Amino acid sequence: MRETIQILDCHSGQAVAAEIFDEITLEHFIETQAIWRPVVLDAVRALAKSPNQTTLIPRHFHWDWTRKEAELKMLALKFFGLSCDGRLQGIMKVDTVVRSCRLPEQQGKPLVYIDYIETAPWNIKQLMEPLGKRQQYRGVGSRLFEAAVLQSEEEDFKGRLGLHSLPGAETFYIKECGMTPVGRDPHKQNLLWCEFTPEQARRYLAGD
Amino acid sequence: MKFNTDRKWLERRAEQEDRHFISVGGLISTLDPTCQAEIVNMPTVETTKTAFVRLLQLTRRERRLSSEKLAEIADVDLAELLKIEMDETFTPGLRTVHQLAVALNLPVKKMMVLAGLLQIKDPHLQQASVRFAARSEPVGSVSPEEHAALEEYVKFLNER
Repeated sequence: MRETIQILDCHSGQAVAAEIFDEITLEHFIETQAIWRPVVLDAVRALAKSPNQTTLIPRHFHWDWTRKEAELKMLALKFFGLSCDGRLQGIMKVDTVVRSCRLPEQQGKPLVYIDYIETAPWNIKQLMEPLGKRQQYRGVGSRLFEAAVLQSEEEDFKGRLGLHSLPGAETFYIKECGMTPVGRDPHKQNLLWCEFTPEQARRYLAGD
Repeated sequence: MKFNTDRKWLERRAEQEDRHFISVGGLISTLDPTCQAEIVNMPTVETTKTAFVRLLQLTRRERRLSSEKLAEIADVDLAELLKIEMDETFTPGLRTVHQLAVALNLPVKKMMVLAGLLQIKDPHLQQASVRFAARSEPVGSVSPEEHAALEEYVKFLNER
């Protein structure tokens, strides 16, 4: 799968063509470690100067690609990448088997579970500001999230989607995306489990 | 897949996204304080580069491989390999390091770290790397001392 989509270029303010694809290779994982991580660490160090800011920092830069190589071959897992200007701008891993719905009205039904989603640090406003830089592209995470919903439709899960939200992203998933907060998961660092029903997914895709 | 092509939809989603970290799986604050401190105070990678070059040279020499032969086995550019061995400030490509590590049966991830392409939290790695670099010479035949240093260092890398 490889689709041309649009994201927003912060410098020109224009929509630019990007590609979203599912042929992720080990090289993509290495790219996230070798090129993204030093930038993330610089930003983290800058953020860490303010003690209150550390609570906002995602721990996803601990993501270890060496253990992900085997996962590329697992049928239950699907990886998506988003590239623009010849560089990887975002990456996402979804699981279509292990998790199922927890909302009472759709309990036990299959869903697409977002296990990992990350945009390149230069596309994250909160990471670029402490470094005194402007973000490069906007909408990368939203496009990956949209791909997860569309994948749910392709799997015939009708848009049903689940994820464990970071505390700082709960408002985003609930208020902005329209997901239902189901409850805290004691088996997953007490993170909030959020879920899409088919109707909520439809509204997200349509922008209603 | 049928992605939304409406520019207004995209702008609205991007605006929402800019206000939050779009991420799942936990926060740095869920890590223990020692781990957080290690990340924030992680040493720079330059000091491990010498160890990377020495490790490459010593392993190659111990296997009695010429640079040309190693480049051939690893399927890497000979000019880049020579540059790696002769210029410690040179940063090799991802693929090159990966190929060399596989060809010499060295731990790929640790080689990436030593080459400065990857950062991990390991306060002992820098110390061990400096110790190893100090105990090995870039040219000449492999002495028993160098052989012992090489064995010890590769064992350390594989264990961590």
